[in-house]
Amino acid sequence: MSQATIPAPRSGYNRSKSGGSKFELAAWLYMRLSGILLVVLIFGHLYVNMIAGEGVQQIDFGFVAGKWASPFWQIWDLLMLWLAMLHGTNGMRTIISDYAEKPATRMWWQIILYASSLTIIVLGTLVIYTFEPCPAGADPSVLASFCTAD
Amino acid sequence: MTTEIAEPASKVELPSHLSGDAGEIPSFECTIRIARFVPEQDEEPHWEDYQVTMYGTDRVLDALHKIKWEIDGSLSFRRSCAHGICGSDAMRINGRNRLACKTLLKDLDTSKPITVEPIKGLPVEKDLIVDMEPFFQSYREIMPFLITTGNEPTRERLQSQEDRARFDDTTKCILCAACTSSCPVFWTDGQYFGPAAIVNAHRFIFDSRDEGGDLRLEILNDKEGVWRCRTTFNCSEACPRGIEVTKAIAEVKQALFTRAF
Amino acid sequence: MKIHQYDVVIVGAGGAGMRAAIEAGQRTRTAVLTKLYPTRSHTGAAQGGMCAALANVEEDNWEWHTFDTIKGGDYLVDQDAAEVMAKEAIDAVLDLEKMGLPFNRTPEGKIDQRRFGGHTRDHGKAPVRRACYAADRTGHMILQTLYQNCVKHGVEFYNEFYVLDLILTEVDGRRRVAGVVAYELATGELHIFQSKSVVFATGGVGKVFKTTSNAHTLTGDGMAVAYRRGIPLEDMEFFQFHPTGLAGLGILLSEAARGEGGILRNADGERFMERYAPTIKDLAPRDIVARSMANEVREGRGAGPNKDYVLLDLTHLEPEHIDAKLPDITEFARTYLGVEPYTEPVPVFPTAHYAMGGIPTNVDSEVLADNDTVIPGLFAAGEVACVSVHGSNRLGTNSLLDINVFGKRAGKAAAAYAAGADYVELPEAPETEIAATLESLRTSDGSENIAAIRKDLQDIMDANVQVFRTEQTLREALDVIATLRERYANVGIHDRGKRFNLDLLEAVELGFLLELAEVITVSALHRKESRGGHFREDYEKRDDENFMHHTMAYLDPESEAEGVRGVRLDTKPVVVTRYQPMERKY
Repeated sequence: MSQATIPAPRSGYNRSKSGGSKFELAAWLYMRLSGILLVVLIFGHLYVNMIAGEGVQQIDFGFVAGKWASPFWQIWDLLMLWLAMLHGTNGMRTIISDYAEKPATRMWWQIILYASSLTIIVLGTLVIYTFEPCPAGADPSVLASFCTAD
Repeated sequence: MTTEIAEPASKVELPSHLSGDAGEIPSFECTIRIARFVPEQDEEPHWEDYQVTMYGTDRVLDALHKIKWEIDGSLSFRRSCAHGICGSDAMRINGRNRLACKTLLKDLDTSKPITVEPIKGLPVEKDLIVDMEPFFQSYREIMPFLITTGNEPTRERLQSQEDRARFDDTTKCILCAACTSSCPVFWTDGQYFGPAAIVNAHRFIFDSRDEGGDLRLEILNDKEGVWRCRTTFNCSEACPRGIEVTKAIAEVKQALFTRAF
Repeated sequence: MKIHQYDVVIVGAGGAGMRAAIEAGQRTRTAVLTKLYPTRSHTGAAQGGMCAALANVEEDNWEWHTFDTIKGGDYLVDQDAAEVMAKEAIDAVLDLEKMGLPFNRTPEGKIDQRRFGGHTRDHGKAPVRRACYAADRTGHMILQTLYQNCVKHGVEFYNEFYVLDLILTEVDGRRRVAGVVAYELATGELHIFQSKSVVFATGGVGKVFKTTSNAHTLTGDGMAVAYRRGIPLEDMEFFQFHPTGLAGLGILLSEAARGEGGILRNADGERFMERYAPTIKDLAPRDIVARSMANEVREGRGAGPNKDYVLLDLTHLEPEHIDAKLPDITEFARTYLGVEPYTEPVPVFPTAHYAMGGIPTNVDSEVLADNDTVIPGLFAAGEVACVSVHGSNRLGTNSLLDINVFGKRAGKAAAAYAAGADYVELPEAPETEIAATLESLRTSDGSENIAAIRKDLQDIMDANVQVFRTEQTLREALDVIATLRERYANVGIHDRGKRFNLDLLEAVELGFLLELAEVITVSALHRKESRGGHFREDYEKRDDENFMHHTMAYLDPESEAEGVRGVRLDTKPVVVTRYQPMERKY
């Protein structure tokens, strides 16, 4: 009595390897560091906009234009935009991978997430850098003071 | 041990309750509500209630045995040592992962039905029995054995008492899967290594005799590795051996960190 | 029917099985069949330590260890085997350390050692520190370390496969191993494993008793399977009752508790061991302590409401010391009895712990078909085997040693045998017999309940075949067992399914238990003397003239022993090398 020998009754369980990249470590670290930086940036932003000077009343087109005329505030706001968007996107990525059970659902949520994040980051960056503080033909009363200086 | 203990007294006065009489062990009625699933008959699991008379020293395992032995022999669950050492009978009791043999009925609210379900996140095979293979697969992947290089010494490797104490906590693991199957990340993502595998990696990463720490850290530096831990502490709460699981995971993260920078 | 082919098949994945697998697995194609996941094995419940004369903390040598083992076993130990074990103990411990076992350490970083019952310096002069340990979970660490090394070496495991039959084929007038028949729990299918060597490492049979430290799964499967195939069982009357089981539950509190300074007291608070073993007191061998405890209770000095237990007192020890050395067992006392060992003594009573007897083997772990004929290809190691290194009473820690020393030897020998042997042809449909048994149980309409029969068996064994035995109690037990076997013929089960039918397997296991309970009792009846773990109140003295030999029990429908049909008893001489029997005093 001899039949073919059969292999072990249970096949192994294969994990999809991500290939030893440092991405997850970097992402984990990024969340913590960007968190700390964002606390400073956001509270600084809130203080300057809402408390310093005349407070909330001062905010208008001219105020924003005035700030963005200075490279300091351009970089400040740009940093805030990028750090917050990446922080939020990564947070959403973890939430999606924690809660989306089906791979297909997970993929779609991720596509939507990455697309919207990318749009906002690109648009935001463009706005900060291509902002025209003194648009031609605008009502001078709403413009920053330096537009009408001469 | 090097300290000598003084010779104990050959006779002492004992408190009276030890030599005198104490009351009878009280008995009580309780309802056990079990998630039953027989693959040959059922499409999906359903609840079934059993009434049993139990005693003050009885554990949930005793109640399950009573049901199996006296009411319905087809009730299936794993068990072996019955005192919390072998890790066979991890299950969800009143919604929490426990060992049935270490959970005394009197510590639960017996006025309401006690629910017993299989642990979550692993495929249910029958009643309270789940397929443990994915769990052990993760365990095997982190290389849970001492890795050394060079020639073996003739005598034992030396290790200081402090070095030995460094990983003592994680040597207690009995691989019952209570931690892994209590982890919300593991529930949705079976690919996650899970707390138990990380605990067993920790046991070797922090063993001063081991030289394979880098390899294990590399494995756990994966999107399914330690970075998926959300520090919900479910695992630490579930561990029947009292291992500080979340702390161990954090220590592995820290080790990855110091290695990278 | 699925047929598998392996050079070596190991049955059981406890300490002995996995130690053998580590050796065989590196040498040849090996499969381990185990009814539990390997890390569930009861080796993991061992607490105290593993003795070896490393002399790390004080002067010691393996010759003293040999003597202690022989004296502890009341001279029924095969002295050549004890010598092998004590000598190889040192390497066994060092092997484990090199495999990664986290032993407790001395301040110099060496493996720490502590005292244990019956282990003495210079032939009984004083207790010696010989037990290497990892807190009070040495067994857990051994089991984990061995499994880890099986993973390392890629040993193939068949988890939840119950080996229910051994296939022996006669070749040229000699029985040889052809393989085993196994039942896969997940599917209910039978598998045939054809192999050149088979190693039995299935553990003990504690579940014949009610109060036992053994796991629910320790039902003597290997012993019964071998016995039913005509292989004798040696010294089955010797069963060790561990002194300190949690009263009423049987859960083990390690001897280490006494090694670390714990003492036993009766209801009067008296340290009664001073009367029974004046020199080493609470650290006397287990049989003596267990009997002394039972005697205290019998003479009315027991503690508690029913005066049915004694007390293990740790209250004079520092809580930090208890936490460092005995964390697990103090937790047992708290969890299961609600007793705080720092401040209160713990109720304890002897619990059935270890079968000294089993399948007879020689020092190379080869199974014997009679007093000296080896069955080619069949090996056994661990509690299922009787080498005999434990004689009539095993010393504490020597079981962890036994599984490591003889597990290793079995693995090596099985691989070496497989390298020079061919497969033995399987008989036509070797599964027929066991398939029929299973099918008739599965479809039986019998009215008898498995649990009820098992309970009656365990009750009578506890009452009549425990620490104290007499002709009358043993005869009574045999009568009860006979009726239980009749009832078993009419047993019915609830679960008719194929998948994970544990109901069916409990029925099969009950069959094993009944068979082995009978062998234990018949052997006990035959031995009209008191020696080690076997104490006959009607023959209180050791009788070297008539009983200085091993008992060999054979299944033989033609014979009759002590009035029981189907059992044949024979004897086997004890190997004596350098120690002549002396009176056993501590």
